[in-house]
Amino acid sequence: MNPTHVKKFKFTAAHICLIIASLFFLVPFIWMVSTSLKPIEQVFTFPPEWIPKPFEWENYSKAVEYVPFWKYLFNTSVITILSTMGVVLTCPLVAYSFAKLKWKGRNVLFAVTLAVMMIPAQVTMIPLFLLFNKLGWVGTSLPLIIPQFFGVPFYIFLLRQFFMGLPDSLREAAKMDGASELRVYWQIMLPLAKPAILAVGLFQLMASWTDFLGPLLYLTNEDSYTLSLALQQFQNKQGSEWSLMMAVSTLMTLPIIVLFFFLQKTFIKGITFSGIKG
Amino acid sequence: MVFLKGDKVKKVSLAIPLMLALALGACSNDGQSGEAKSENGVTTITFWHENTGVGEEAINAVVDAFNKKHEDIKVDAVYTAADESQNEKLLAAVAGGNPPDVSWFDRFKVGSWADQGALTDLTEYAKEDGVTKDTYYPFAWEEATYQDKLYAMPVDTDARMLFYNKDAFKDAGLDPENPPKTIAELEEAAEKLTIKDGNRFKRIGFIPWYNQGWLYSWGWSFGGEFFDKVAGKVTADDPKIVESLEWMTEYAKKYNVEDITGFTDSSGSGEMDPFLTGQLAMHIGGNWSISSYLKYKPDLNYGVTPIPTPTGDNFTSWSGGMAVVIPKGAPHPDEAWEFVKFFGSEEGQEIYNGKYKTLSVIDSVNEKLGYKDDPIFSKFINILPKSHNRPVIPEGELLWNELSNAVDNSIHGNGTPKELLEAVNKKVNAAIE
Amino acid sequence: MGQEAVNKVDTSPRTTGKHKQPKPIKHKKPKTITLNNGRTGWFFASPWIIGLFMFYILPLVASIYFSFTSYSILQPGEFIGFQNYKELIHDELFLKSIYNTVYFAVFFVPLSIISGVALAMMLNMKIKGMTIYRTIFFLPTLVPHVAIAVLWMWLLNPGFGLVNGFLDMIGIKGPAWLGSEEWAKPSLIFMSLWGIGQAVVIYLAGLGDISDEYYEAAEVDGASWFQKTFHITLPLLTPVIFFNLVMGVIGAFQQFTLPYTLTQGQGKPANSLTFYVMYLYDNGFKYFKMGYASAMAWILFVVIMILTILIFWSSKRWVHYQGK
Repeated sequence: MNPTHVKKFKFTAAHICLIIASLFFLVPFIWMVSTSLKPIEQVFTFPPEWIPKPFEWENYSKAVEYVPFWKYLFNTSVITILSTMGVVLTCPLVAYSFAKLKWKGRNVLFAVTLAVMMIPAQVTMIPLFLLFNKLGWVGTSLPLIIPQFFGVPFYIFLLRQFFMGLPDSLREAAKMDGASELRVYWQIMLPLAKPAILAVGLFQLMASWTDFLGPLLYLTNEDSYTLSLALQQFQNKQGSEWSLMMAVSTLMTLPIIVLFFFLQKTFIKGITFSGIKG
Repeated sequence: MVFLKGDKVKKVSLAIPLMLALALGACSNDGQSGEAKSENGVTTITFWHENTGVGEEAINAVVDAFNKKHEDIKVDAVYTAADESQNEKLLAAVAGGNPPDVSWFDRFKVGSWADQGALTDLTEYAKEDGVTKDTYYPFAWEEATYQDKLYAMPVDTDARMLFYNKDAFKDAGLDPENPPKTIAELEEAAEKLTIKDGNRFKRIGFIPWYNQGWLYSWGWSFGGEFFDKVAGKVTADDPKIVESLEWMTEYAKKYNVEDITGFTDSSGSGEMDPFLTGQLAMHIGGNWSISSYLKYKPDLNYGVTPIPTPTGDNFTSWSGGMAVVIPKGAPHPDEAWEFVKFFGSEEGQEIYNGKYKTLSVIDSVNEKLGYKDDPIFSKFINILPKSHNRPVIPEGELLWNELSNAVDNSIHGNGTPKELLEAVNKKVNAAIE
Repeated sequence: MGQEAVNKVDTSPRTTGKHKQPKPIKHKKPKTITLNNGRTGWFFASPWIIGLFMFYILPLVASIYFSFTSYSILQPGEFIGFQNYKELIHDELFLKSIYNTVYFAVFFVPLSIISGVALAMMLNMKIKGMTIYRTIFFLPTLVPHVAIAVLWMWLLNPGFGLVNGFLDMIGIKGPAWLGSEEWAKPSLIFMSLWGIGQAVVIYLAGLGDISDEYYEAAEVDGASWFQKTFHITLPLLTPVIFFNLVMGVIGAFQQFTLPYTLTQGQGKPANSLTFYVMYLYDNGFKYFKMGYASAMAWILFVVIMILTILIFWSSKRWVHYQGK
């Protein structure tokens, strides 16, 4: 085999592997979208039908009317944007401090940061609720936003791993030039960690976007509900509105898919060190 | 290396508190559930519920009717998005000391919540206003009562029966108007209805433990009793209950349990149901599935009949249902009671159950709603006076899970029915002490 | 192909790193700088220090206290010393849930790392249409849990499900999957692998972090794909693998949502899907034994802590940070 053939063969093989694997990962999504377009009698037939007959596009307009979709979309967006901002602002700063700065108590604090993730949230849920209750935040979206501004252990740990991989020499060089630590962080380290920070932002975005338990516990006014709570509204003991529920689910996932599609280049491209050479 | 201007750093450090301020501003306090809201002599009370769709409309209709009748009380119904079986929201609110005035509540939990002192005792209110048990089905009142005190107002109910597919019956040469009455007849019909195609089933006649085929359904139908009220002890090892589990276990062996399980229905509402698609010819179901079937397969030709018993008589069932309660710490218990009373009254019952097509806890209301003339509904209404309720004990959930585990272990051959049920008894009675 | 090249070139990351490590600006190394940032460190970490104490430590301390009481959420309960812990030792379902959880973790964590890394490497190839593939692999994490649970039951139904239908077509009698005690956990592990999209994103970010220069150098040396993978990619991906390992262990031991939704909290069949945190949840929220549940949580904490310490201790041998 000559090299071009080998190359071609490799590419085809790669595509075939990817397509087969993709089918496996596509199933739930296809099912969701297909259900969202089905007439209700067709949702649970046997053998299952994958293609709606006829396509019930009305399900979407019905679903959007069934719940105050636009209002909930707005509420969800506010919570998501603010909490993502909080995470992106704070977590890299803290992670950088854990990864690159040397200070007394750093290792202990880092160990504690990991340790708090080891306790299942189910037992801290009620004490945390009581704390927010004391603060008078129950009934507002503050418990869903403010803690993110103070850092989230999962992201701090993740970003620390990325900062650890950045060469110390960069930092030292900048400090020699007389830059303050904050400036080093802001101008050198932060841009280098951009892929990881974007990934973290995406995770928080998804977490806030789909969070159910938080809004359930803390929001007490229907006007401030989020989309994940709306999904519950399609469930009914006497027959859930499956197709409408899947329509809202599909609408909910679309913005994230679009975002992921366009953002991935940024966070997957990674760092080219040559690009930042002075 | 290209450095950015130093003032950009400052801008960012300024931006952080600004964002925080924005966040605080963007999320104005909605007012908490329990705040006193008396204005111009009108007391507003908050009512949390988790009904959706028609169920929510039905609740709103009751609330509107109540608000029209009362100038001094206004009920504010709030949909909570909670799950009736997993209500962390109400729990957290009660623990935090600001619960709603009235809450929707699964009667199954009255025992545990009342025992925790989380529900307001309604006994005195009821006595004063002449609300008595005579109005209601015995099981409904009993399930709202814990240690002789009333803690909840029952508002709807349900029952379990044998659903059978009439087309499948015709297909198998069985008389669709003469469904099985005894366990033996049931097994015979099941065998005829089962069609195998090589290794795979095309249709399964019956799976005793499927859907609502809980041990409660069979234990009571076999004539057993789960609780000794006098001794205050669980009697899960009642010989009749053991007998019913032995029958289920035999059945599991006969058909090879693993071939016919895996139907674990996630929603419990019946849409995911192989009965709906005709793959299961009979099952024990609840009346709430009627609406589901109508919605997802309007042409499903089925009938209902009481759960078969060994003798072919003494048919029974068991019932649960929802209630309205006043959580402990509710700011306006007196006004809340007015609403609770209204919801439980014939008037409230008629509005709610009429709209939602659920079964009322008052027999006369069911009659008024025309349920007794409906071929399917009438079967349910007829069984209600003889229906059972699950024991009202703080360990109700534990007993439920333990019984469910016992059935599951028994049909999978992990222990004999007698041993397993004795273990349940031991464990739950130990917890009661 | 490429096997013969193994002996010829040495492409271990250290040697490649040594002569190709990017060194942007060279200055004399002043000793004072790295040690002198104690106050800045604290300052940078200060938001988290506040957040940690407010939103994490406070509730944690409360739960330690609760574990020694008969706290029920609705009632403060009494101080009962180690009774909750003592009772747990005799709780059969507790022991069963440990077995299930360990089983799940033992298989799921390594599988998720292997398939995650493999998938990420596949998705890191420079092929047309890769953006679409990447998006596809991410999709399952976006579908709501209820929908996933319903779909799986539909696919895995022993009698009528699509999977067994397919197996039947090729002459294999499929197992009962979720209906079988033996197959329920493997089925769940399989299902959970569906949701590795998030881990894959982390691996992809990690792969993107590896400087192209390493590969260029290896290419010059004539290294094969195999060598590049095992001597550059994997070693330099270790910080991220390390992260996913630690988080995978924590996550696997706290497995809750999928099996809970799937079995309606019952852990069927025959308790083979009753996982540790599911049982903890039932105790805390259904049986009102939050004290008992808190004790369970702290036992879990100790177990995960020991495992994490082991991972950290071993990490010195296998995790390579580019920055060092």
